[in-house]
Amino acid sequence: MGAREDFTNDAMQYAPQLFATALRMTRNRSDAEDLVQETFLKGWRAFDSYQQGTNLRAWLFRIMTNTFINKYNSQQRRPQETELDEVEELFLFRRMGAFDQSKMSQSAEDQMLELFTDEEVKNAIESLPETFRIPVLLSDVEGFSYKEIAEMLEVPIGTVMSRLHRGRKAMQKMLYEYAKERGLVDESLLDPQD
Amino acid sequence: MADCQETLNELESYLDSELSEGRANEIITHLKGCTDCQGAYEFHADLRTAIKTKAKNEELPDGFLDRLRDCLGDDVLGAE
Ligand SMILES: [Zn+2]
Repeated sequence: MGAREDFTNDAMQYAPQLFATALRMTRNRSDAEDLVQETFLKGWRAFDSYQQGTNLRAWLFRIMTNTFINKYNSQQRRPQETELDEVEELFLFRRMGAFDQSKMSQSAEDQMLELFTDEEVKNAIESLPETFRIPVLLSDVEGFSYKEIAEMLEVPIGTVMSRLHRGRKAMQKMLYEYAKERGLVDESLLDPQD
Repeated sequence: MADCQETLNELESYLDSELSEGRANEIITHLKGCTDCQGAYEFHADLRTAIKTKAKNEELPDGFLDRLRDCLGDDVLGAE
């Protein structure tokens, strides 16, 4: 029995969420499994440098993010902010009037869950350029703080905030396009001034 | 006090729980008194929940956890 055995037991509980995020990063199930395995091996080997009492989950996600960025020669640390079109503020909210109410349930919260399928949400995330996709995953899906994400990506907090903001808007636009394709949207219902 | 424009601008940071307590309270006060901003807040909160729920919904490959344990076990043997 030792710290390393504890590591395996403690870390294993995070394997499913690491896999889900790895899958959104790599967009491929077999690469995602490799990435999680590599993350665990690195964590296992670096366990001496892990400070007891610090956040194991954040530590593992940090290792995985770094591994992904290095392995796939990611552009994360070289900004390429231009590769995403500018989307207006509150994009989806301003278009909610165009959604066909007769096709939706009454409760607002259920509505949102019905508006988009699991696949559409996953595709919308995966369609984001990597520079934006990783911060969105770490924040929206995994719930890490700006500071934690800034440390994982080794970029300033302001950069995390702007990538999240632009990435989320682009994702909203993508979700809107999917809803349109599924016939949930009637754009003639929109105010012309919008 | 926060007005509508400030509230909408800071909605994202508020939803991320990244505002100072004082600023968050100003946003909360505004939301309580403004149905427009309250609507925008609820919309984005629900959207967050939907995205999180759906993106997390992922099945593990068969035998994934066993293979993961195995690869750690091999590493121990390899190191000895
Ligand atoms: Zn307002």
